[in-house]
Amino acid sequence: MTYEPIWGSIIAWYLFLAGVGAGAFATSTFLSWRHPEATSMRKIGHVIAPVAVAVGLVLLMVDAEAGFHNPLRFVYLLGNFGSVMTWGVVFLGLFMVVSIAALVLDIMKRNVPRWLENVGAVLALCVAVYTGALLGVCNTFPLWNNALLPILFLVSALSTGAASVLCVSIVRHASEFNRVGVLKKFHFCLPVIELLLIASLLFITQSNSEAGMQSVLSLVSGEWAVWFWLGVMVIGLVAPTVLETWLLFFSSKEFETSRKAHWISFASDAGVLVGGFLLRFLIVSAAVPLTVVVPLL
Amino acid sequence: MTRYGMLIDTTNCIGCYACRTACQRQNGLDATIDYIRYEERETGKFPYVGHETVPLQCMHCEDAPCVAVCPTGASYIDHETGTVRVDESKCIGCRYCMAACPYGVRVHNTVTGAVEKCKFCAAESFEGRAETCSCVEACVTGCRIFGDLDDPDGELSRAIAEKNALPIAGDRTKSKIFYVR
Repeated sequence: MTYEPIWGSIIAWYLFLAGVGAGAFATSTFLSWRHPEATSMRKIGHVIAPVAVAVGLVLLMVDAEAGFHNPLRFVYLLGNFGSVMTWGVVFLGLFMVVSIAALVLDIMKRNVPRWLENVGAVLALCVAVYTGALLGVCNTFPLWNNALLPILFLVSALSTGAASVLCVSIVRHASEFNRVGVLKKFHFCLPVIELLLIASLLFITQSNSEAGMQSVLSLVSGEWAVWFWLGVMVIGLVAPTVLETWLLFFSSKEFETSRKAHWISFASDAGVLVGGFLLRFLIVSAAVPLTVVVPLL
Repeated sequence: MTRYGMLIDTTNCIGCYACRTACQRQNGLDATIDYIRYEERETGKFPYVGHETVPLQCMHCEDAPCVAVCPTGASYIDHETGTVRVDESKCIGCRYCMAACPYGVRVHNTVTGAVEKCKFCAAESFEGRAETCSCVEACVTGCRIFGDLDDPDGELSRAIAEKNALPIAGDRTKSKIFYVR
């Protein structure tokens, strides 16, 4: 018996963009706390946050065809507070309001109050965890139905969000980019944590059921193996870790602030973004459901 | 109260798929959309082998995971009949219920974009209510019995007790289709 995935790349894009937006806002809040002088980078985060999440939400609505054809049905979305998706709508709605408010204040050249930044950061964490919990409560899919997934998506969201801010600032505000050392060091740790979480996720999932084993096999040696090893592991996690280790800890100060090093950082952060999307896409696509009588392949 | 349920005796099922065809006709479905799906396997060891066909459709669970996850309340339990229903006028087609259903029996209608499933058609309050569901009527070997689980003297309740019929995957969702295997 074969199985057709319920969700496809559109939902993967949505999960990824919601994560990037949430992570970008969290990065801005971190910058205002730790690097208050990096005002341009903070503003970049405030632009990316609502734009990325809004694009993701549009994709979600397009994918929810019955609602797309009858948009009034979306008003029912707050209809069941037992549903993780309803909570997601609440978090995403509030996050959009706060992140747009921060963006408007930036455009009007007014200060974004600290409390607004903090509220936005908390909502960003909720959005990022929600994208994992959304899949996590589906008992039928062993690859999703575990407590690691929300954490993995949270770490990946912070990592991709910071990467998006760093990428743009390399292009537009290189001098500020040189001075945000603490952010870079935090950002450096995230792919390492992700490696650990992915290894744990696969290790536990393969042992809990036939469907879990099939899901993991399709990632590490089956249909999705090339995407998983090359896209997620090498481009998304290992290469950025190696490059940033070299730049942050082993290269000279002069080289670290040179334009050449900037483009190496850019490549590494672009890799983080590619890996972040592929991670969502593969988790969505490779999950095999538990079945009643015959295992699915 | 009425709690509609069904018994499916797979030991008599010959795998002819007449139930699915009848269901598709009853509900006006395309050939590609079906509310009944089948899991099939070989049983036993050579030379004593058999073939088992297990028809699966909405189990009308009392603890329905699809109802729990539906963000709009489009999936709901009709308390008058005990059946799980989809109010299509509320369904946005997010397919969360399909991911949550442990039996994989919800289908996405690519024309309307909404999610559909077995309605226990005899329990649906459409005009000229049928005596029994079309899948029950169509079964050539009489595998299926439809009835009220709350009627202890009914044909369904007696058959469940007599044949020791059980839910397909234990009682975790309190499903209302009972299987003899």
